[in-house]
Amino acid sequence: MKSRLLTVALGILTAIGGFLDAGDLVTNAVVGSRFGLSLAWVVLVGVVGICVFAHMSGKVAAVSGRATFEVIRERLGPTTAGLNLAASLAVTVLTLVAEVGGIALALQLASSVDHRLWVPVAALAVWLVLWRVKFNLMENVTGLLGLTLVGFAVAVFLLGPDWGDLAAQLVPQVPVQESAAVYWYFAVALFGAAMTPYEVFFFSSGGVEDGWTVKDLASSRLNVMVGFPLGGLLSVSIAACAAIVLLPAGIQVDSMSQLTLPIAEAGGTLLVAVVIVGLVAATFGAALETALSTGYTLSQYLGWSWGKFRRPARAPRFHLAMILALVVAVGVLMTNVDPIAVTEYSVVFSAVALPLTYLPILVVANDPEYMGEHVNGRFMNVLGTVYLFILVVAALAAIPLMIVTEAGG
Amino acid sequence: MIASDLLDVPVHDEAGAHLGWVVDLRFVLDGAPDTFLARARLHALVVSPRTRTSFMGFERSSVRHPWPVAPILRWWHRGTFLVHWPDVARVPDPDAGAGPEDTAAIVLRAEFTAYEPGL
Repeated sequence: MKSRLLTVALGILTAIGGFLDAGDLVTNAVVGSRFGLSLAWVVLVGVVGICVFAHMSGKVAAVSGRATFEVIRERLGPTTAGLNLAASLAVTVLTLVAEVGGIALALQLASSVDHRLWVPVAALAVWLVLWRVKFNLMENVTGLLGLTLVGFAVAVFLLGPDWGDLAAQLVPQVPVQESAAVYWYFAVALFGAAMTPYEVFFFSSGGVEDGWTVKDLASSRLNVMVGFPLGGLLSVSIAACAAIVLLPAGIQVDSMSQLTLPIAEAGGTLLVAVVIVGLVAATFGAALETALSTGYTLSQYLGWSWGKFRRPARAPRFHLAMILALVVAVGVLMTNVDPIAVTEYSVVFSAVALPLTYLPILVVANDPEYMGEHVNGRFMNVLGTVYLFILVVAALAAIPLMIVTEAGG
Repeated sequence: MIASDLLDVPVHDEAGAHLGWVVDLRFVLDGAPDTFLARARLHALVVSPRTRTSFMGFERSSVRHPWPVAPILRWWHRGTFLVHWPDVARVPDPDAGAGPEDTAAIVLRAEFTAYEPGL
């Protein structure tokens, strides 16, 4: 019998991979230091959106036992689903590269040993967990340790900001020193980070790993309602810390180490230590999520047996795919590329992957052959369709905005 | 023959008129027992007159949600029909490689019957 707290570990881990992975940790601080809280509304829009689609994908997984990419492959056919697979894999593997680099950077913060030396260690550790550790234990440990990022929310209070001033920043407006194009570029980037396709691949496959059935619909809903809002809240907290400390000082964030500056000011060494544990856990959790998503999507598209609930020998190609993804990640990082910058380009692939991922979920959630009495109600359909429309608009706008602003320059 | 040899392939009637594309295959499980289920037997082709993109399963049911996705797909795939496998006269040779468009088509018998695709 699982306790209520651990029941929501899957949702928390999924949300960490979406909102608090290495790229987003830095993006949140960049946004806070440049725009204050004027983009916080985007996180809210993103949280509602990912809740809607994670809820549907979790429901489909619980009722039919089928994970999201199996549904995509079935409904879109081999060609279109193949296009989605290529784009989704690009997003997921680019993020995995950033995460392995992010673990190394976080370990450098803790140890002062150069991050390039940590990269092979980080990749090996991720692989060992993928190979040996039970899914249940994996989600509980990384989910709980990732919660120490709550240190950012604590820091906001310890910094004792002028609350009225901070609340005034919540109004959506382009700061005078920034252009509208850059503002909207970061808006699309934050929205895309909230709604990454690998979150629903991981969440729905995780539901299958956890053996969800119709009885677990409430558990799925709880995971969604706790995990993603918490991820969004922490992401806004990071931006708030940066807005309180770094924005007035005119400090521009470009590395992970600067994340800890407001923390050190607020809570000293102790809080920094707590937050670094959170940074390692969050990047590690996101690395597990993206590596597993690589295996899930490829296996579900090609009909291979998959899942950590099988022994590796019973799902060899699933494990081989994850090993290859990790080898690619180490190889890319050894070229000395900036791991954080890597994630900026994943926006391009998201533009293809997002609509082709969320449309089949919405369609299948309406199919009584699959869902029986649990088909979407009118409210979910309206929300789902509105978000599908927003996704298409954001996807179309992403690439021109990236080119015009030179990725937020 | 594999499913990809039939999916997305143009469909012609015996006189050579273009009828559409194969957008889905329908199987029945009534063959000899296999590992888990009875072996699948190809029962029919789903042919859509205007597009070779997926109908996303709406051809099987009377589902009208979510709006406007379902109505748009239904309009785009209007006239979709089901043709039984015995009504197929010949299929392109899977080993022939890419030929001219008109030879690489599935040809139906003259007296073929077009069925409603719903289940």
